[in-house]
Amino acid sequence: MLKKQSLPKVAAVAAIFVAIILWRPTVLIYGLQAAGLYASIAIPMGLVLGIVHIVNLAHGEIMMVAAYSSYMLCSWLGIDPYISLIPVAIITAIFGFIIYRLTIRQTLKAPELNQLILTFGIAISLTQLANIVFTSQTRKMSFSYVSASMDIGELSFGIYNFVFLVAAIVLAYGLKFFLHKTVAGKAALAVGQNPRGAAIVGIDVDKTYGLIFALACALVGAMGAMFITRSAVFPSVGSPFTMKSFCLIAMAGIGNIPGILGASVLLGVSENFLKAFRATRGWADIVFFVLIISVILGRSIRGKRA
Amino acid sequence: MKLKASWLAAALLAVAAIILPAFLGAYPLNVARSIMTYMALAVSWDMLLRSGQISFGIAGLFGLGSYASALAVLRAGMSPAASIVFAVLFAGLVAFGLGFAILRLRAMYFSITTLALMEIFRIIMHNLHDFSGGPEGVVLPAILFNGEAKALYWICLAGLFVTIAASVYFEKSKLHLALTAIRNDEISARTSGVNIFKYLLIAFVATSMLQGLMGAIQVQSYGFTMPDTAFDANFTLLPLAMALLGGIHSTIGPMAGAVLLGVAAEWLKLKIPYGHLVVYGLIIILVILFMPKGLYGLAKDKFKKSHDNRVKGKLS
Repeated sequence: MLKKQSLPKVAAVAAIFVAIILWRPTVLIYGLQAAGLYASIAIPMGLVLGIVHIVNLAHGEIMMVAAYSSYMLCSWLGIDPYISLIPVAIITAIFGFIIYRLTIRQTLKAPELNQLILTFGIAISLTQLANIVFTSQTRKMSFSYVSASMDIGELSFGIYNFVFLVAAIVLAYGLKFFLHKTVAGKAALAVGQNPRGAAIVGIDVDKTYGLIFALACALVGAMGAMFITRSAVFPSVGSPFTMKSFCLIAMAGIGNIPGILGASVLLGVSENFLKAFRATRGWADIVFFVLIISVILGRSIRGKRA
Repeated sequence: MKLKASWLAAALLAVAAIILPAFLGAYPLNVARSIMTYMALAVSWDMLLRSGQISFGIAGLFGLGSYASALAVLRAGMSPAASIVFAVLFAGLVAFGLGFAILRLRAMYFSITTLALMEIFRIIMHNLHDFSGGPEGVVLPAILFNGEAKALYWICLAGLFVTIAASVYFEKSKLHLALTAIRNDEISARTSGVNIFKYLLIAFVATSMLQGLMGAIQVQSYGFTMPDTAFDANFTLLPLAMALLGGIHSTIGPMAGAVLLGVAAEWLKLKIPYGHLVVYGLIIILVILFMPKGLYGLAKDKFKKSHDNRVKGKLS
């Protein structure tokens, strides 16, 4: 499958990885763990972008809503976040479907900018509502299994966060299976490729959009429930993930869901590479923004030439 | 005749704005200043929007302007007035350089890139500890006019007037035709011989300079800045909501929106100290769903309809 031109690139990337493993193994380990988290949040957004063709700037905020719902469920009922995963996914699916029906559906035919501003408004409203209801205080739950660790030789590191990498792989290939092997998935794929054509052959485009949006919300909702095992929850916890998700999707190319995994690994490892040194620690956040701009510009320049 | 009447009204409003400090105390003047700052940002955002490019990076250039001004005073020993001029030129220069790269982008790619640029500026200022003061920011040795509220009001008003004048010029000159043509249909604009890149660059550089100007005036009036206040997302969010509510693609729309939302925000801040911004989010959603043309567009449509009816009545 590899093209001839991409061989040197792949070799270079592999060489860099081997060098990092030998030199600073933790960079790779924590990089992969971070990549899992990024990818598993980005994949549902990629699904919406690929099929409904909406940049949902409220994506991270839906995860935030899920994280709060899971937090409430767990603290009231005293259950584990992993048990709350399914009820939370159902809650966010319904929530997402309502948002879709009430707002996004009305702007599907409007210019793209209206959709962008609309979802931006939804994001602000959700963050601020959380601010009013829950205040900006951070909430954290702690679980004993989070601190699980592993020793290899002299190296000791936390392994719990690998859960996110597993989740990301399951999501990526699960969705691939859904889109290519099931009837509903094939219909969704057809709608994504050509809504008008799909409508002509008898697919209910509107229903498919609603279904996919709700499905994406359910998936990111499940991620929100998993998220609280690892991090504290506060109203603006989701917003950085919206941008990161968009960046990863743009890197992978719209519609290329497994590609998001590769892009996340690149982002996660390079962020953790900078975090490994005291002098560059503060600059780790910039990696992502530099990546997003270079990817977008690179694509536009290549697009011009082609 | 109609044109003259509207110019007269504008002149009267300007005079009223100039003599306003005579009747107001320090607190209302402070509120007026923040409303004017947001108004100028809203108008400048709209100026670029008229070409169809939506920027999410208003706060980026605003913050860049305020840092350029503050650092010019602290590190280069410039006088505050000179530093404001320097900040405007600096913002313009940065926009000119960036413009060559990012004005190739369209739609969501342009928007996301402007948002990312804002974050990059913020992180740079956050991390250059020795030069920009890092997360704690910088404190200026003195505030402009020794903090005299009236003088600060007037300099802010001057910044606003420059912005409004630029916006009116954009509306009345040939630029208006070029930008509208680009917004409506870029390909047919190009085939009609409009130099798209040139006009986009003019609009981008001009709006960036105006945003830098407001940032510089802001930092010189308050005497300090830090990354989280200079690049506060509110400087993007509020102008956007104001322009949308008032009515985009006009000068008067964003101004009206700024007055309405600015006063409302001041009131809500007292009622709901945390999360009063939810109102802005909801306004953005409702305006997009129910009146995409904003208040000004709505009023214009109403006026046109009643005018048409009158003409029809005369004819029959």
